[in-house]
Amino acid sequence: MAPPSGKRVKGTQIYRPFIYGTTARPFDANTNPKPPGVPDDHTHSWTVFVKGIDDVDITYWLRRVQFKLHESIPNHVRTIEGTKGKPFEIHETGWGEFEITMKLYYVAESGEKPQTLYHHLRLHPYGRTEEEKEAMRLSGDDIISWTYEEQIFNEPYDAFYDILTSGAFPVNSGGGGGGGGGAKGGGKGGKSKDKDDQQAQQPQRSPGGVLDRSAMIPLINRPGQPFSRETEQVEIQKLKDALVKVEELTKQIAEDVQQKEARLRELRADAGIKA
Amino acid sequence: MASHDLRDVLNLPSDHSSTPRPSKKQRTGPGRPNLKGLAREVQNLGGDNPIAIVPEAAVFKKRRVISRKPAARWELRPFTNSARGDDGALILRHWRRKTDHDAPPDAMEEDGEPGPVENAADGERQVEKTIKTEDSTFAKFNVEISIPQYNDDQYRANLERSDWSKEETGYLLKLVQDYDLRWPIIWDRYDYSPQTFPVNGEAVNGDSTAVVPVKGEQRSMEALKARYYEVATVMMSVQKPAQYMTGPEFQLYETMMKFDPLQEEARKEFALNTMARSKEEAREEESLLLEMKRILARTERFKEERRELYQRLDYPSTDADINTYKTSTGLNSLLQNLMNVDKTKKRKSIMASGEGVSPGTAVPPTAVSEAGPNRRESIAATGPSHRESISGTPVTPAEPTPKDTKKKGAAPAERRKLSEQEEQVYGVTHHDRLGSGPTFRYEKINKLYSHKSGQQQLRITNALGELDIPARLAMPTAAVTGQFEVLWSAVTALVDLRKVSDRLDADIKVEEHKKAERDKARGITNGGGDASSRDRSVRKDGAGPNGSAEKSDERRTEPGTAETKPETRPRSQRSQHNDLQNGNGGTAAAEPKPGSGGPGEGANVDGAPAEVKEEPGAGEREKLGPRPSSSGAHKRSASVLSTISDKSAKRQKK
Repeated sequence: MAPPSGKRVKGTQIYRPFIYGTTARPFDANTNPKPPGVPDDHTHSWTVFVKGIDDVDITYWLRRVQFKLHESIPNHVRTIEGTKGKPFEIHETGWGEFEITMKLYYVAESGEKPQTLYHHLRLHPYGRTEEEKEAMRLSGDDIISWTYEEQIFNEPYDAFYDILTSGAFPVNSGGGGGGGGGAKGGGKGGKSKDKDDQQAQQPQRSPGGVLDRSAMIPLINRPGQPFSRETEQVEIQKLKDALVKVEELTKQIAEDVQQKEARLRELRADAGIKA
Repeated sequence: MASHDLRDVLNLPSDHSSTPRPSKKQRTGPGRPNLKGLAREVQNLGGDNPIAIVPEAAVFKKRRVISRKPAARWELRPFTNSARGDDGALILRHWRRKTDHDAPPDAMEEDGEPGPVENAADGERQVEKTIKTEDSTFAKFNVEISIPQYNDDQYRANLERSDWSKEETGYLLKLVQDYDLRWPIIWDRYDYSPQTFPVNGEAVNGDSTAVVPVKGEQRSMEALKARYYEVATVMMSVQKPAQYMTGPEFQLYETMMKFDPLQEEARKEFALNTMARSKEEAREEESLLLEMKRILARTERFKEERRELYQRLDYPSTDADINTYKTSTGLNSLLQNLMNVDKTKKRKSIMASGEGVSPGTAVPPTAVSEAGPNRRESIAATGPSHRESISGTPVTPAEPTPKDTKKKGAAPAERRKLSEQEEQVYGVTHHDRLGSGPTFRYEKINKLYSHKSGQQQLRITNALGELDIPARLAMPTAAVTGQFEVLWSAVTALVDLRKVSDRLDADIKVEEHKKAERDKARGITNGGGDASSRDRSVRKDGAGPNGSAEKSDERRTEPGTAETKPETRPRSQRSQHNDLQNGNGGTAAAEPKPGSGGPGEGANVDGAPAEVKEEPGAGEREKLGPRPSSSGAHKRSASVLSTISDKSAKRQKK
């Protein structure tokens, strides 16, 4: 990791959404036959991955991921180098759940130290309640345990800042260079209009409408892409509802407390007189 | 002629001599090209003296091209204007050029006057008219503006404001639509009075009529605009997050969002003032501005000169203490040094202006003041030099800045300015304080937890669990985490309040016990009475036996200190469990029994003498035997939000 040149961009924070997690599937003679060479006691095939939201490329900021699997698995520390457009992933088989350690190495320009994430491999339906488990059991073979996360770069170095803030819009000078002020005009007009304009100038969008190299989140959920503005709104609503509930409770208790205080005062006064 | 020659010979300047030549040229210049053929020959006959024949070019109007076609036919044709919005009820007529294909009917029509014919043949004509009536060409200028739409939920979620009711917002939006965003008209027409108030006001009494105008107070145009833009932007972003907006959409969004009513008001006021000022004031202002410009230019030049001078002087950048130069000997040595340096560098310093020598910001003024006299080779001239040094002070600190910006400027110049939309798309935000380096969004929430003690963490998690908030947020985006933090603080407050409530419960109980004991002391109770009172106490709140004053004091202070200890989880769970089973005042029973087996036990062995249960009760256990139990009325739900059992467990520990 070469010491980065330039300075940190003060007071600036840039984030990138991404997903990590595991997908597991039990072996089944028809749907998921056991490949040859897999030990008998292995019951599931599973995949652990780190990828961009809506499967957009993230290799421009994430260079490699080191997965630390369970020690019993041969060659349990595996490093996956990024290939453009591909998720960082490992396919394995096994029978037990364990915690996977993922170490994210950023691109050299970032000059940042690697960061660690932990994820629990899920092979069996899980949930807080039986219903949730049941729902998961019914939903299909795949046991999905995905986590949405946002990678935040606080005060990135100049070079990295340029990388993170370019590439989504067609720039006259051509993509990732991050040159000149021409980007502004290009960026402004370049969103929907360019869709049917020249191919070269067209911004790269994922099927969910996420611009390449941007921090966008899809607007709506699609199969296999559970994280979107929609989900976010649902979650916010949930939190707001909870907040209302808590406030009610708080009010109740506050009243309760007042009553009790009054009662206590009464009792103490009483005691004082008696004494 | 003669005079001309004479002048020539005498070499006199002649004022006439210059004039004839141009005149000749003038004559020939315009004269020649105009004439052609015979006319020119005739002209030439006259030689130098032109003949006064002015050739006259006869210019006639061009013959009008008269088309042989028959005169165009016009007809009075009915039309509607869809912009009227009356569904074509009003039909007006205007003259239109007749087109070919409807010639036959026209030919017929032409026989009589158009009006009567139309009226007479109304049956067929009517049909024809409905087909034919065209829309006015001006209808297209009736542009309907689209105003933001929202439903109740959206309003509640995003648009609630204390000073704008939903009705008034609706009223404003309606006006906006009616008057097509023409703000002066909207403002003029704006006359909102809440629906319910006028009725009350008139009906009830004079006081409330006075309320009405206050309620429907005059809103300024800026306030109206601000509200409308707010609604519009919010609804825009609700329907489509800013990241997904197209360029023009985003521009609109941005301009509406940046609307600042205060600034707008100030702007209008300025404009009014500018209009209202008198001619003299305007002139004065102008002259002042000019004056200012001149002053600025002068200071600029002054600075420039000063800088140049400094560079020439090539003063040393001393970070050293100037105290050494304060004595006369020090000053002398400095002078020597400077002279030497000056001699060696004289040429170089002029050549290499600007580079190499960086002006020290700390001391330069004094250094200059000493360098100044040295140049003039008179130390005695401290007076002027001193003045210079003082006037120099503001300049010198300013001097390094251009250099600094030049150095730093390399980066910001390269780093292009992101538009707001780009910032959205790239997820760029700006903060006042940031620890640099990569983190994850969720870490912020983890940090929330880590600030709390284990005990509190547990309680908060439990509370959140009860609210059906999963342990890990599904999508920790900035908005979600923000919302979660709000919830978090609310829950923390709730948990704390619970704690206070529980402490109060305990205190009340103690006081009640004391009271009961006092009562008992007054009456005559003893021995086996304990058990019976215990029994009673289970049913009756606050009828439990005594507790010592000393003990109660201790208990009162205890929670504060013990609360923060994070351990005792298993115990608390167990006692909680017992709570559920017993369903009665088990929790309360547990509290006053430090070290004893647990509340369940307490409740089970109900009838037995109290002392039997309490043997393990440590040193703090004193003379007063029977422990208070009780307060069945004080039943807790199994709610995890309740924390009483945790506390009781802790007391047990103690």
